[in-house]
Amino acid sequence: MAENVIGTDIAPPDLRAKITGRARYAEDFRAEGMVFAKLLLSPMPHARVRRVDTQAAEAMEGVLGIIRASDLPGEAGPRERALTDEPKYEGEPILAVAAVDETTAAAAVEAINVDLEELPFVLDPLESLREGGDDARLDGNTVKDREVFSLKWPDAVFEEAGEDRLPMGEPTAEWAVGDVEAGFAEAAVVVEETMVHQSVTHHPMEPRSCMAYWQNGKLFLHGSTQSTQQARNAVARSMELDVEDVVLVAEYCGGGFGSKISGAPIMTVPAVMSRKIGRPVMLRITRYEESYIGRARAGFQGWAKIGFRRDGRMTALDLYLVQDSGSYGASDFGTAGVVATASYQPENMRFRAIPVYTNTPPRSAQRAPGGAQIVAMLEPLVDKAARELGLDRLEIRKINAADGDGWLGPNQGRFTSARVREALELGAELFDWDAKRQLSGQTEGTKVTGVGIGLSPFTAGSSGRDGLLVVRDDGKLYVHQGIGNLGTHSIADTARAAAKVLDLSWDQVEIVWGDTRKHLPHSTVQAGSQTTFAHTRANHAAAEALVALLQELAARELGDSPESYRVADGRVFRAGNASVGMSFAEAARRAVALGGKFSGEEYPDDLNDATKAAVQGLAGQGLVAAAKDNYPRDGAIYSWVISFCQVELDKETGEVEIVDLASSADCGTVLHSRSLTAQTNGGVIQGIGMAKSQRWVFDPRWGVPLTKRFYTARPPGILDVPRSPRFAAVDLPDPQTPVGSKGIGEPPVGAGEAAYACAVADAMGGRYLRRTPVTSDMILAEMEGRSGPYELLDTHV
Amino acid sequence: MEFLRHAINPWGDDVLLGVSWDLIWAAVVVGALFVVGHALMVPKKTGDETVDPDEARDLPDKVLRHTTGARAFHWSMTVAMFVLLVTSFFPLVGIQFPWVTIHWVAGFGLILTVLYHIWHVFAKQDFRTMLVGGKDVAEGVLALKKALRATDAEAPRPGKYPADQKMFHHVAGVVTVGAIVTGVLMMYRIDHVLWEQNPYLFGDAAWGVIYVIHGLCGVGLIFLVIAHVYFAVRPEKRWMTWSMINGWITRDKYLQNHDPKRWEVVDREAGTASRDAGSGG
Amino acid sequence: MAVIRDMIPPFELYQPSGVEDAVRLVGEHGDQGWVLAGGLDTFDWLKDRIKRPAAVIDLGGVAELGGISETDDGGLEIGAMARLTAVAESGDVRSRFPLLAEAAGLVATPQIRNQGTLGGNIVQDTRCWYYRSGWPCYRAGGNVCYAGTSRSMNREHCILGASRCVAVNPSDTAPALVALDAEMTVANASGERTYAARDFFIGPEIDITRMTVLEPGDLLTRVRLPAPQPGARWYFEKIRDRKSWDFSLASVASVLHVDGDVVRDARIVVNGVAPYPVRSDAAEAVARGRAPDDETGQMAGEAAVQDARALRHNDYKIALMRNLVKRSVRDAA
Repeated sequence: MAENVIGTDIAPPDLRAKITGRARYAEDFRAEGMVFAKLLLSPMPHARVRRVDTQAAEAMEGVLGIIRASDLPGEAGPRERALTDEPKYEGEPILAVAAVDETTAAAAVEAINVDLEELPFVLDPLESLREGGDDARLDGNTVKDREVFSLKWPDAVFEEAGEDRLPMGEPTAEWAVGDVEAGFAEAAVVVEETMVHQSVTHHPMEPRSCMAYWQNGKLFLHGSTQSTQQARNAVARSMELDVEDVVLVAEYCGGGFGSKISGAPIMTVPAVMSRKIGRPVMLRITRYEESYIGRARAGFQGWAKIGFRRDGRMTALDLYLVQDSGSYGASDFGTAGVVATASYQPENMRFRAIPVYTNTPPRSAQRAPGGAQIVAMLEPLVDKAARELGLDRLEIRKINAADGDGWLGPNQGRFTSARVREALELGAELFDWDAKRQLSGQTEGTKVTGVGIGLSPFTAGSSGRDGLLVVRDDGKLYVHQGIGNLGTHSIADTARAAAKVLDLSWDQVEIVWGDTRKHLPHSTVQAGSQTTFAHTRANHAAAEALVALLQELAARELGDSPESYRVADGRVFRAGNASVGMSFAEAARRAVALGGKFSGEEYPDDLNDATKAAVQGLAGQGLVAAAKDNYPRDGAIYSWVISFCQVELDKETGEVEIVDLASSADCGTVLHSRSLTAQTNGGVIQGIGMAKSQRWVFDPRWGVPLTKRFYTARPPGILDVPRSPRFAAVDLPDPQTPVGSKGIGEPPVGAGEAAYACAVADAMGGRYLRRTPVTSDMILAEMEGRSGPYELLDTHV
Repeated sequence: MEFLRHAINPWGDDVLLGVSWDLIWAAVVVGALFVVGHALMVPKKTGDETVDPDEARDLPDKVLRHTTGARAFHWSMTVAMFVLLVTSFFPLVGIQFPWVTIHWVAGFGLILTVLYHIWHVFAKQDFRTMLVGGKDVAEGVLALKKALRATDAEAPRPGKYPADQKMFHHVAGVVTVGAIVTGVLMMYRIDHVLWEQNPYLFGDAAWGVIYVIHGLCGVGLIFLVIAHVYFAVRPEKRWMTWSMINGWITRDKYLQNHDPKRWEVVDREAGTASRDAGSGG
Repeated sequence: MAVIRDMIPPFELYQPSGVEDAVRLVGEHGDQGWVLAGGLDTFDWLKDRIKRPAAVIDLGGVAELGGISETDDGGLEIGAMARLTAVAESGDVRSRFPLLAEAAGLVATPQIRNQGTLGGNIVQDTRCWYYRSGWPCYRAGGNVCYAGTSRSMNREHCILGASRCVAVNPSDTAPALVALDAEMTVANASGERTYAARDFFIGPEIDITRMTVLEPGDLLTRVRLPAPQPGARWYFEKIRDRKSWDFSLASVASVLHVDGDVVRDARIVVNGVAPYPVRSDAAEAVARGRAPDDETGQMAGEAAVQDARALRHNDYKIALMRNLVKRSVRDAA
């Protein structure tokens, strides 16, 4: 018997290369004759290019070419492209210069004069919604049904709101479940609050550098992307090429967090430049540039009113969100409303929202987009209600937690599984909640203790992708992965499903990934925490197909019925008489000899075209099995993480130290314990960063960001959390997927963020400062009764 | 040498910062050249030192040229001006001390003296004595010619203020007011107790012009002060300098240097000066 | 002219091996030269192309600037190029001047402390993010402060010592050195001068473009610490948003001479609140002659912030400075 590969700690195959520095990221590649490109960024938050004077730059020795927006494929439109003549944020690239080296390219950029016409700009969504407020874009300030238009709220909306409440005019999105007013009528306690969750940039360690060259009409591209097979599609779309004409190499990715789902926009710059000047072009993105084009999480200015019955059950949730969509839009707000239902299963709910464009860098998904924000905003309100109800904070979450019969709004679909109460209990035990909650408010010297819980659901899967396996004549199983290697280990861990089905020792498994020439099957984008669920299924399906092929092959070669054969340990053999059988190596050779469905000349019809092309490419190289994930599934796939946080707040300085941190999760069957712990703790810390220190500050006069460096943006460091945050998983299988595993990438973020926010509010005697981040200056001002640094609804501060 | 200082503002626009401080040295050099040139070219006055006894009749020994108020103004302004120049230019040439507060406080001192001066001129004096008329221009041209030894013609005696003095006053007045107006606006760029700063009161382009004007006025004042001091110490003008200290001039100087018809000392009995025998600039 | 960042423009590199050579080179290049010590401040400026020296004089090879040695009077002399790690971990520093060791050990990160030098930490430029954006502010030779307006983002700016510029001194070791009565030795072509640490740092009202007395052609070579007084108590605390790689929002360094239960002498220095480390004479005067307890600390703190004035977003610093001074009196050990 091979070892059990599910749940065990097996180092992924890329680990050694990463640790030793042998791993080659996009920036590490070179091609013969390669030259460098640099970007010219807009200095204004909103402008129109009137004229560009490149004469001096073009006259410089070593300058090879300049491209502008008009050189890009396709037409300029409302969608973001890599270069623009109407920059909508400071830092938006206007043109690129290629030169023999970077020094020359930089000097050439400096020698270019861009004549810009200043256009009105806006940083605060609410300012844009006022009568007479500016629109961030020439076509409007909001969007509905993909139509951009300008919407202003009457002054009365703002007057009515006053200084202490979110103005709530006409929304562009609205849905309701039940009757929210009836719910409030039934409530014993109603809490109501206006809050701000600020936008934050992604700051992956690896900036999105990319290198491109062309050979015989084919584009070869080295990029930094979370996905591979789907990223190639995105590059082909943005370059207006056939997918077959794009080769994408992206074996490693130094972090994406949602900002590099495809990573495609900026890749068009070296691709177009290379085509223009006929030389390979490397575009190294600097930290400074990454801070502009590297994407950001959408911020919310929000209002919530929540009603609870005396027994703690949430009877009504009324939610209004004004989203800061940046310059090109974001959909976080929609997800936020849905995640709120997964969190609390309110008996009645109304959701209203409006996304508003601002002249700030583009938003994209950022690890639990919408989810982390709403969880961090609402969890402290639940604590507030628990205080008023005299309920334990763990208890109120258990009372409102989703279970197997839970629903996901607004369409009220069910969950494939929801073991939230189990996770709450597990986490409480791990953290010792019963003892820790007694410490709440206790003071020692100048330090007061607070504890908090953050419960965070997020989508955790999808289905219907393809798996592709090859057994070669070396006897090994080659698992072809179209997913990207963004650092989560899913590139290897989802292959375990195949090893399990085949009962194959892990050292006989080779992962094939990171280069679209390697015949990669149709996959998910590596986003939305889909991968674990989707690709354990796809690989499981392909492995079952492979078993069937092996059995049929064995029956054909060795007699008896296919059903009489078993597969294990790299052999197919007759049940009850293991000596009758053949090794994988022999099977591969026989498959090649037999051809047809055994060697990939024939394949199932329901495969995606991308997978079909991959199978065709592999045909004749061994025993080839490809299958679509057709396993049944009925319900939304969600994972939950619950974090518990203990802090000590220094009343004299406002500093907060996290002294204990523990998390638990319902993410189905544990696939890889060590990686799961790392993923969860990493996400929890990322969330704590948003609650504690991370900022994206803009100067309101000039409309430009001031936190362009790590040290000013202040994402959290490892010293900001306890040395060993603890973690435990419920580890019960999701019944609707063969391996039982669900995704985990995203839910930890909101959990960590909310647990910290709740713990700080707890240490302050229940005073919730209603924004992110809550920094020591705000805490100290509150403790000292001084005026706080910001107005309630301020953003980008 | 560059005349203006530029910078790139946050939106990438080239903006004016002000004049180049090399102009300080330029003003000093031009002032020194003027002094040396003038001293070499213009001889000490060797004109007739006698007076007409008819004219001298009934005149007191001392004629009041500057009232106490006028002298108080002059010297207050002198102090303010020197403080302003020292606090602005010494740090720029490397003599460093906390100058900003002293500078704007002195600036306000200057504003007060100027306001007093304006009130005094209109309320207490005949400001017409300072107007420049056609005669002044002709006499000015003649004085210039004489200075350049281009003519031997005797210049007529002026009224209370000779043309060159009037011209100096008006140029200095314009330059000073320029410095004051721009200086007050510039106080929106700094933090002080009088009102809240607002560096965005104007756009960068307008600010650039304001700074350039202030700089030009400041540098101009260096030259004007050098010239003024030079004339004040020239031997043949010292009687005038003294009058700014003690107020009066001798009857002889009065008659030698002023046309009694153009500057009438009305109340001969009392020996005091008429209403218009007030201040000069 | 378009702006580009994160790309070091070319310069001439000089790598002297002796102090004399270094001083000569620094003098020769004047304001066209740039002294490179650990590079942590330097490379930010160079990468952003905001400071564009024609010549960079790298002190990395000047061994004699790196040592820590005992002086005749029982004090220590620390070379300007001594790495912060060396200062923080030196047995001599830890035993005689634990205040300095503590301050040096709280700088940034271990990697930065390994590379960064004491001299560099002392003379580093302010971290005002407007100034560091390359904007033409007063400090950069322009005529506006972008940080001081009613709309500016100035949470990390000053509450004391503002004069047109509202930036703060970012150094962690500077307040410690002022509290320890250190002396800075500055060399240039005409010889050596010594400054008391307190006078070494200057505010914008004196010179808005410099943080210290160092002018082009000057080189900070050594820091001398006079012999510690036996039994002196000390306190150092740095408040920051993150526990590593972060400049202080405010920091305090104090040295107290306590006789029985009475403070005989005190030196209390706060940084991060003014363009220079602020030695609070008022707080020291309050502390002298009183017991080093909470009440005295509170009074000293109140005295220290008497003249403090908040900008739009940094009112908290007044309370923070007051409390840090309080702690530096109450909790000194």
